[in-house]
Amino acid sequence: MKNGFTFFLGLFLAVALAWTGIVMGSHVQLGHLAPYFDENEGKAFPERMPGIAAQGQLVYQDLGCAACHTQQVRRPDFGSDKARGWGDRQSVARDYVSQAHVQLGESRVGPDLATFGARPLAVDATRLTQYLYEPHGGMPAYRFLFEERKITGERSADALKAAAPAGYEIIPTHRAVSLVAYLQSLNNVYEYPEARPVEPAATKEGESK
Amino acid sequence: MTTAPQAADAAEVTEIDTSARWPLLLLLGSALLWLVLSGILALANLVQLHTPEFMAGCSALTYGRLSAIQETAFIYGWAANSGLAVALWLLARLGGAPLRSLNWVVAGTLFWNFALILGIAGIATGDMTSNAWLHLPAYVLPMLLVAYGTIAVPGVLAWTGRRKEMTFAAQWYAVAALFLFPWLFSIAQMMLVFAPERGVLQALVAGWFVQGAWTLWLAPLALAAAYYLVPKITGRIIPSYDFAQLSFWTLLFVGAWTGGRHLIGGPVPAWVATIAVVSCALLLFHYIVVAVNLRGAFCSGGSTVLKFVAFGLAAYVAGGFLDAYTAMRGVAVHTQFTHFSEGQAQLALNGAFSMLMYGAIYFLIPRITGLAWPSVPLIRAHYAAALTGTIVLVVTLIGAGCVQGHDLNTAAIPFADIAGHVRPWLLAATAGQAILLLGNLLLATHLFWLAAAKSAAPAVFNPAPTMEASVS
Repeated sequence: MKNGFTFFLGLFLAVALAWTGIVMGSHVQLGHLAPYFDENEGKAFPERMPGIAAQGQLVYQDLGCAACHTQQVRRPDFGSDKARGWGDRQSVARDYVSQAHVQLGESRVGPDLATFGARPLAVDATRLTQYLYEPHGGMPAYRFLFEERKITGERSADALKAAAPAGYEIIPTHRAVSLVAYLQSLNNVYEYPEARPVEPAATKEGESK
Repeated sequence: MTTAPQAADAAEVTEIDTSARWPLLLLLGSALLWLVLSGILALANLVQLHTPEFMAGCSALTYGRLSAIQETAFIYGWAANSGLAVALWLLARLGGAPLRSLNWVVAGTLFWNFALILGIAGIATGDMTSNAWLHLPAYVLPMLLVAYGTIAVPGVLAWTGRRKEMTFAAQWYAVAALFLFPWLFSIAQMMLVFAPERGVLQALVAGWFVQGAWTLWLAPLALAAAYYLVPKITGRIIPSYDFAQLSFWTLLFVGAWTGGRHLIGGPVPAWVATIAVVSCALLLFHYIVVAVNLRGAFCSGGSTVLKFVAFGLAAYVAGGFLDAYTAMRGVAVHTQFTHFSEGQAQLALNGAFSMLMYGAIYFLIPRITGLAWPSVPLIRAHYAAALTGTIVLVVTLIGAGCVQGHDLNTAAIPFADIAGHVRPWLLAATAGQAILLLGNLLLATHLFWLAAAKSAAPAVFNPAPTMEASVS
């Protein structure tokens, strides 16, 4: 490798090719992806996140929740995501088109959250808020998202049912409220044309064996 | 290995080494401080993994943030500083002339580390982005890019102004790393932070960047050290050297395509994952050539530097094969999203990269300072701790990943029970990390001891021959 020019050209091509292939290739395929308009329902999916949920997404991001939680359901015959109740269909690219900060995640120390909003725990905001305040098995308590406030006059309607010193109550901060709103908004269940569940065809396998 | 003075080899230490002393010591000193810090944080992070209430009340050190801070301190603190120091020194030596514009290195290092401290404070206080290997907040990224450029300048000058037309494998890898990182880093900044792509394209860019940062930056830095040290210490030419060039280009052209293996089964085009699987298999050629080229490291003949290098190379090659194995869809379904992936990352970062850097540091320091390492037993203790710690950490994380993967894929096992099944493995991994940290503390103490001994008692100064005998 005596020729410096050829060498640098090679280095240039090494990065340029991979970038063109992976990044631009996917961009060509997915860059134009738009929400899917359902004429029967008269609205487009995925729906835009409410403002408070978008704020909650930033809380989710800055606390690094993605270090333990994924937001991507694998297809029913690949892993046990469906059997665990994490989603009936696999996640598709369209699920994420309206998200400003996509957090697919790479670790499942905690459960997948792509369809969390549809689960019983998430339906009740009070219960979910309480959940964040208390430790649960592998998940620590996020007490810094709450403040201990002196009760003045009536007890706040938002106060948690948690042990607080006499005359004090535990109130979720705005960050906790927005995080809960975000978690409730995670609900990738609409069945896009490209997302029809691919059944594992267990019977077919059985037949062939 | 001995500290006893031996016959002088006048050519071993020249102005090339001594003129770069302070800038390189600054880079290496900061690298070791970051290494120790990231080791402490990694330990705390692992404790949080099996005992979640540990430091749960502290928002700055909650699990997600601590994990990002630890990763950042390791990659941008330890790996970048140490890798740059080694690359600059190699390029100067092989180029045959002292490094020029060394003031740029000093200024760049100060700015780089300042930006990093600022960025880590940003992560701790809530400015973290959600991209792996790029958690740093937007406001420090341009400063890091410029600082990197200024540190790398003397390296590129050493390459372009080299005295010999002929080049060596160590130079290719070092120049590639110096040249390619700013490019990867600036594209990733633009497409992820300043003008983010839409939807899952973010995940694709992030996957490309993480893989690129490993195969086009950190791995070449480590390999540059290995390709220099092995023939230098053994005194033998590299066997099958003709293949080295092909292996180099294979890593560069194929390596960055393997990033999609982490997205198997994900909401991205299936071809991305398929190409990654194929590329992982193609890349085995590179790993085999590296193993063949540098097999001399495994006949260390008593050289402690070579022992570090041998372990690093073994980890590098084993990691490559493990990547190819786990990229297969049938295996990925079990290992994906588990501690197995973390085990693979630790094998690459602590096993391959760090070990090769330790070897290079033990070889380089006496040559630039003109001082022998004060204590040989301390080096041996570091080797024992690094070896044991890495093996325990990697094996237990992989073990934890196997248990976790099995449990996750068995829907009959309640999710809440998985943490309990994995806990014993994670406790053992914590022990591994603790041993690793102990070893790194030994290295850092040793370097500062060496530096302090010099300023306190100049008479300790040993001529080159002592140092030559003390390191190889």
